[in-house]
Amino acid sequence: MIEIHGVNKAFPARKGIEPVQALVDVDLTVDDNEFVTILGPSGCGKTTLLRAVAGLVPIDAGEIHVDGKLVTGPGPERAMVFQNFALLPWSNVMTNVAFGLQLRGVSKRDREQKAMELIELVGLVGFEHRLPGELSGGMQQRVGLARALAVEPKVLLMDEPFGALDEQTRRLLQEELIRIWEATRTTVVFITHSMEEAVLLGDRVVLMRPRPGRIEEIIDVPLSRPRATHLDSVEQSGEFVSITARLWERLRGLQTDVRHSRSAHPEPGSMTT
Amino acid sequence: MTTLAPSSNGSRTILRRILDSAWLYRLLAFAIFGAVWQIATLGSKNLLVPTFLETAIAFPQLLLDPVVWRAMLISNQALVVGFAAAIALGIPIGLLMGRYRAAERFTNVYINIMLVMPVAALIPLMLMSVGIGLASRVIIVVLFSITMVIVNSRTGVRQVDPALIEMARCFGATERDIWRRVLLPGALPAIMTGVRIGLGRAITGMVIVELLLVSVGLGNLVNRFSANFQPERLYALIIIIVLEALVLISLARWIERRAAPWVRIAGFRE
Repeated sequence: MIEIHGVNKAFPARKGIEPVQALVDVDLTVDDNEFVTILGPSGCGKTTLLRAVAGLVPIDAGEIHVDGKLVTGPGPERAMVFQNFALLPWSNVMTNVAFGLQLRGVSKRDREQKAMELIELVGLVGFEHRLPGELSGGMQQRVGLARALAVEPKVLLMDEPFGALDEQTRRLLQEELIRIWEATRTTVVFITHSMEEAVLLGDRVVLMRPRPGRIEEIIDVPLSRPRATHLDSVEQSGEFVSITARLWERLRGLQTDVRHSRSAHPEPGSMTT
Repeated sequence: MTTLAPSSNGSRTILRRILDSAWLYRLLAFAIFGAVWQIATLGSKNLLVPTFLETAIAFPQLLLDPVVWRAMLISNQALVVGFAAAIALGIPIGLLMGRYRAAERFTNVYINIMLVMPVAALIPLMLMSVGIGLASRVIIVVLFSITMVIVNSRTGVRQVDPALIEMARCFGATERDIWRRVLLPGALPAIMTGVRIGLGRAITGMVIVELLLVSVGLGNLVNRFSANFQPERLYALIIIIVLEALVLISLARWIERRAAPWVRIAGFRE
């Protein structure tokens, strides 16, 4: 579904800051219906890579194909969920969820019907007419998820979607996400800082390292599916523990490298969300 | 089992309601102002400074005088036309400056000049080129108010969360979609602020141009009352002008609240 070949991206120098190689020779293939998580320390290029797949960021070299077509900009087959929700504060939940459909010219009746389906799916019935300012963080992200699913994308791109939420909400939404995904089986690329989250949700974990940003290792997660009904016991299983331990060892090594490298500031452009 | 006596409970809530009412504080402020004014002017026999009571008597007299209302009509013509022009020109200019760097680079110099320039100084120049008449008064009203409209509209566009613009692009928004769905609604509160501030300045411009050179309407009346040593009528007239401004600005605020109901105003210490 997603073919990333030889992707390079550098952010140009500004005064006082050297040019940053955000991505170097990145190759990755994501199969249909796969749930891939991308994990790595700050500055490893994971957000840049996701945004390149989304078509928001031009790449210097290489090619990205989604569903067989070359990526040159945003497209209807890819939808994104943002870390800070990016909901329109002046529109209610219904209008926000229907946003992508409205941009495509779907009629009011059809898009409200579709939006209502998604609102039911993410468990926000009764809140259709609330404004985002009246919702908790977890609820706002459900709206973000509903909005992305409403356009029936082939690929769902999620940029640390639970990063701005507290632990309990995060765990609840992880369960919900897996439950919804196991029903729809969209292809998902999910960025996270958390090893547990990466292993819990993904079929494969793509580990990236910074300076310059590149893929360090891709690890299979052989935990069986479906997982939604028993995430807690998955977390306690021996396999889960051993994979996360392995990831932590690799990550810790990468963190040390970062501390010892010369230019110790975050890459520009990766912290725009 | 104790019960509260109903009467004491009832009067407490009435007292509470009076204390919480905004009008109480406005009346108090006004009363203090009036008292200070009256005391300050009590001893003086200054021909140019009326006492509060004299002004208070002149006020309803003026309100009922058809001469005053005719003057208001003449003056407000310039206000309506000039302010409408200021909004119709200023908002689009400000929006374009906020979004497109080329527009900003081109016009920024002029805006900065207009921000610091005392527009009143331009009035004689205006009259030499455009003459006495509605046109020059309208131009002065525009010059007084348009800068605030432009600057606030520009700020309004600039402070729209870039994440929202990016989100819209992700979902396939064209530039036109971005304007309609993100930039305009996002900038609306700031635009309305600019309109409100611009309105205040437009009213100032309306009166000043009449004071200085084009002697019609309210400005003419101000000059007349000064020349005839009728300071209580002069002050009462000024109060009428201020009241008109307050009414118009309250109207603008009301529209602001209706147009952008999602805006929360934070920060009051309870």
